Parts: sequence; structure tokens; C-alpha cells
Amino acid sequence: MMARDWSLLERLCAARGVSGSEDGVRELILKEIRPYAEKIEVSPLGNILAFRRGEKRPATRLMLDAHMDEAGLIVTRVTKGGLLKFEPVGAVDRRALPGKSVTVGKDTPGVVGVRPVHLLERDEREKSVPLKDLYIDIGALSREEALERVRPGDAAAFAPFFRAGRGALMGKALGGRAGCALLIELMRAGMRYDTVFAFTVQGETGLAGAKTAAFSAAPEAAVVVGAAEAGDVPGAEKDRQFCRLGAGPAVPFLDRGTVYDRRYCRMAAEAARRAGVPCQPVRAARGNDAGAVHTSRAGVRTAAVLLPCRCPHSAAGLAAQSDYLAARGLVARLAEAIEERNVHKQPLC
Amino acid sequence: MTTEELILRLCAADGTSGDEEEAARAAAAAFPGCARTAADALGNLTAVLNPGAGPGGILLDAHLDKIGLAVTGVDENGFLRVAPCGGVDRRVLPGAPVTVRGREPLPGVVCCPPRPAGDEKLPAADRMAVDIGCPRETAERLVRPGDRVVFAAPPKRLLGTRISAPGLDDRAGVAALARCAQMLAERPPRRRVTFLCSTREEVGGQGAVTGAWSAAPELGIAVDVGFARQPGVPEEKSGTLGGGPMIGFAPVLDRQIGEALASLAEKLRIPYGRDVMGGETGTDSDVLAAARGGVRTGLVSIPLRYMHTPAEVADIRDVENTALLLAEYVRGAE
Repeated sequence: MMARDWSLLERLCAARGVSGSEDGVRELILKEIRPYAEKIEVSPLGNILAFRRGEKRPATRLMLDAHMDEAGLIVTRVTKGGLLKFEPVGAVDRRALPGKSVTVGKDTPGVVGVRPVHLLERDEREKSVPLKDLYIDIGALSREEALERVRPGDAAAFAPFFRAGRGALMGKALGGRAGCALLIELMRAGMRYDTVFAFTVQGETGLAGAKTAAFSAAPEAAVVVGAAEAGDVPGAEKDRQFCRLGAGPAVPFLDRGTVYDRRYCRMAAEAARRAGVPCQPVRAARGNDAGAVHTSRAGVRTAAVLLPCRCPHSAAGLAAQSDYLAARGLVARLAEAIEERNVHKQPLC
Repeated sequence: MTTEELILRLCAADGTSGDEEEAARAAAAAFPGCARTAADALGNLTAVLNPGAGPGGILLDAHLDKIGLAVTGVDENGFLRVAPCGGVDRRVLPGAPVTVRGREPLPGVVCCPPRPAGDEKLPAADRMAVDIGCPRETAERLVRPGDRVVFAAPPKRLLGTRISAPGLDDRAGVAALARCAQMLAERPPRRRVTFLCSTREEVGGQGAVTGAWSAAPELGIAVDVGFARQPGVPEEKSGTLGGGPMIGFAPVLDRQIGEALASLAEKLRIPYGRDVMGGETGTDSDVLAAARGGVRTGLVSIPLRYMHTPAEVADIRDVENTALLLAEYVRGAE
């Protein structure tokens, strides 16, 4: 079997796009989808709404949604010594910050510094470092030197990292960008029905992107594609093990932001069966774009298909290639199943 | 090759304690002026200038090894269990991209299990796991207990003359030795000078023990890294990034060597700092001093931030000034 080409996902993971500073990844997505979309619109907040004409007109107007932004940091202050203080943007895992490489702004490399372990008291050595004690070092020796390259308000992302091999995917911003890659691949492959593709901003922060995208596109139904934190790692507590790698995409019925449409959850399971792929019904820990999409205008019936991902808000998430491919098959089937039936005429179950 | 390229190339080489072969190979290429280079039973790389000048002479030492993890086993789900190899800082492990040096280099990530908010306790390194995304059978075929795990952060340039790479402790010191050898080769001294790139410093300095025994020097200087000023590091325990070599003063160190290095730095107008420690130094100089019947020993440290993390930061000027100070010291000691 020939190895699959993961270069699209690699490019997406490498792109800059901390919430609120998504320009790098937006430019890349625009370039990738231009040949396949009949109409593309960039919204005031920076969402991409792309219309892909299908073979037929849908009975239910569907929006496929993936957020393009990633969790990261934002520079709040430059110290006299030239170090950058920061605040987290989105659900960045603060245990995963010390000692990591980052890129500040467009292209300034830096590292997240901590006190040398040799100089710590025993209890300090055994605890994660409080955020207030962390900072980014870009090698500047004074505030002036730092300000030549960086301003408070600049975003900092984990340094680009991507590996694909032996059935695994590892990457910076892997979860969200896998959703973007999946949508782009569906656009390339072509759809049976006309479909709106939304690549949203601020999915890691307050869902302002998803909220406004759903308003503008005004769909009757939506499928949100993203990532779910997998808890199948040593040291995870039993009640944090929501889903696992290799068992197919996670289809949430409940999370912090959404009680999902029951019928669509069942349709997703049925779509997986027809596509010949596994899927995992889950209660997910965090919310996603669905939280804003399903309450848009008069309401949007919404489902989500999520890639199980370990360490999703760190320098390197890890997912299974098989889950990605299964998710793609599932989303394609589910989209058709939703689009071919009139949402208003579906019987109550 | 510029000093920056030299350091970055040395840092890119593998080489955790007890497994320094690749680092030794990278370092061997950096001592072209020396008469012979050899690896001994413990993997030390020794390069000698003027081997015909009789026994004794001066020994300059920097350690080859860097900290890492060693695989202890594969669990039922294919996760690698690990133990620290050297003084690993557990706080920088969760979510760290790593390379597992198995039958082939394998990418991996140190697991960062989901936890309830507010849980700040970090498990010890040997309770953490490395995820290579493979099922057990594949992992067991590719990885054996004892295989090493290193941080995958690539060496990089920061602003000005600062650089960052895992393993600057002590590849920056090895680079200073290499640059010193190059400077001396231009105008060779008459004495025998042994450059010892030693192994296993991070686990006790066993390489320096045997290397110093073999070289049997009259005088030794260890070159390592020292704490550079940064938030939370007291001034009396640190040098300054770009502030030049830190000259060591400690009970185990020879006071005259320290003072001679300091006045030489003044004379050469090289910036420097005095690095004072209360007992032993925690570097190879402790074992050099105690070699055979005792060796008068000095210590020069290159200021380094974030020691023992993948984010170590040093200033190239400090490496270059350390090399210059050592070269002039060797010439002056004749």
C-alpha cells in the first residue's frame, strides 16, 4: 500500500494562527480551496465561508464547520531585561509550556524559560510552574532590543512540529487543523449536494467566529468537525477518559456547550456503519463551535465529528491516521444523509 | 565554520550519558589541529596538541553528554516507560516532542494526561510515558530497554548573538575547547595540551575520572556551563548572558589558577565574572582535582539560561571569549 500524502495537513499544522491572529493559516486555506469553491467570502472577523456547488440542490442546507485557530499565547508586556510576559490564549495546557519552543509574531523564535531545576526547593521541583513565573525569551538582552521585533499584543504559537508515520499523526495544532484538512479534502473530492464550508476564527476562545459564520451562512443544519481530547494515556484518571485513539471518530452527544441533536447523533452512527468505519459516541469535556452554531438565528440542527487527539493543547498533539480517514468517510456520508432529506419533514423520533 | 555553526552542529548530535558516540564523532571533526584523537573504554574523546612534548602538561575538559531519558519498558498499550538519564527537569516533560533512538529514530511525545483543573502535582519522570503512537507489538520490535530518548527541539538562532538548543550543557563547552584548539594550532605552545571531551558527567563524571587518570596532567581546567542571570536566580549564584566566562572559585578549585585567569581576562579586556561556590562545584573539576595524586584544577563556566531544559540559551560571544581566555592561559603557562 502506498503511503498516504499528509503534506496538506503538515502545511496546515505549520501555519500560524493563534486565536485572533489567524492570518497565516487563513491565507493558506484560501490558497488551497480557491480552485474548488464557486464563491469565497472572508467575514469581518476573518472567517472563510466557501460555497461548493454539488451535483444537486440539497433538501436541507448544510454548513460544514472547522475552526482554523489554535491555542497559544499573547505577549502582554516586555520586561526591562527583554523577556516577554504573556497570557494564554484558549485552553493551552499550562503544564505543557515550560521549556517549549515558540514563534512570536510572524517569525521571531523564542523559548519558554523556567528557573533551573538545580536551584529549586523539593516541592517546587514536583509541581507545574505557575503561569506568572513563565515568560518567553527571544534572546533580547534589553527591552529596546526586544521591542525592535515584538510588541505587546503579538501572538506566540508553539513552534511548527509535524510527523506522520506508522499509523500516527503528531503535530502542533493538530486537532483543529485536521478538521480544516478534512473539509478541504471534501471540497476537492466534490460533493453530491451544494454545501457551505466554514473555516472559523476564535474557536479556542469565545466562538465569535462560529457564531457569526452561522449567522451569515444561515444553514438549516451543521456538522462541526474538530478534535476531542483522548484520555487513553497512562496516568489519566478514569473519569477523564472520554475517547481513545484508533476506535474511530468521536461523535459527542453532550459537551460543555451543546446537547446535540438526537436524530443527527443516530444518523452519524448509521453513516459510520454505511461507510464501514467505527465511531465512538462520547460525552466530551470541552465544547466546540457547535455551541455557537446550534443557537444561531432560529436554531440549527447540529452534529459534531471529532478526531480523538492526545495532548491537544500542547506543542504536539497525537492522533491516529485511521481515525482521520474514518472521520472523513463519516462526514461525507453524514453530510449526504442530512442534505438529501428535508429537515422540516423529518419525523420526530 | 563559524563558532555559531560549530555549536549548533555539536548540539544537533545525539549523545546522552553513557551513549556519547555520535557526539564524540561530531566533536572529533572539530579538533583538526591536534595530533591524535582517540576514544577510550568509557567513550572519552581525547585530542592532544604536542604529544611529543613529554608527559603531564595541561588538561582542558568539557563533557560530551547531555541529559535525556532511557526507555525502561513498553506497556500493554505501546507506551514507553522511561527513567531519567541525568538530572532531567520533570516540569518541562509534559507535551514535549522527543526522538526515541530505537532501531531507527522514532518521533514521540511525552504524555500529558488530562487532569482536573487545579491539580499541580507532576509525577516523577519514571511515572511518565512516551507516546510513539504505535501498538505494543510494533513498539517492542522498534524499541529496546536502554534506548535513549532526547528532546526534539531543533537548535535555533535567537536575537543578536544568542542561540538556543537542548544540550548546550555542555556542547557549548566542547565548542569552546575546539575553538581553543584551533586558536592554539595557529601559534602552537611548546607544552603538551590534552583536550578531554568526557563522558557521563551528568551521571557522576566517570568519563573525567578515567580521562584524567590517562592524561595524568600537571594542571587541569574544566569548561562547563553556569547559571546565567534570569528571573528567580540570585545574583550571587549567576553570571550574565554575554557577560563573559564565569571563573570558578571554590574549596576544591585552585585559587591561583582562578586569580591568574581573572587577571588574564583583565589584561585581554575580556568581560568575565567570578563564580563562587561553597564546596564542590558539581562539574568535572571536582573529579579532575582528585585524579591520581591530585591535580591543581580550575573551572571556567559559560553562562547559560534554563539549564537542563530543551530551551537552554547561551551567547556565542561567551563561548568565543572562553576559548580565547583558555588559549592565552595555555600560552602564558609556559
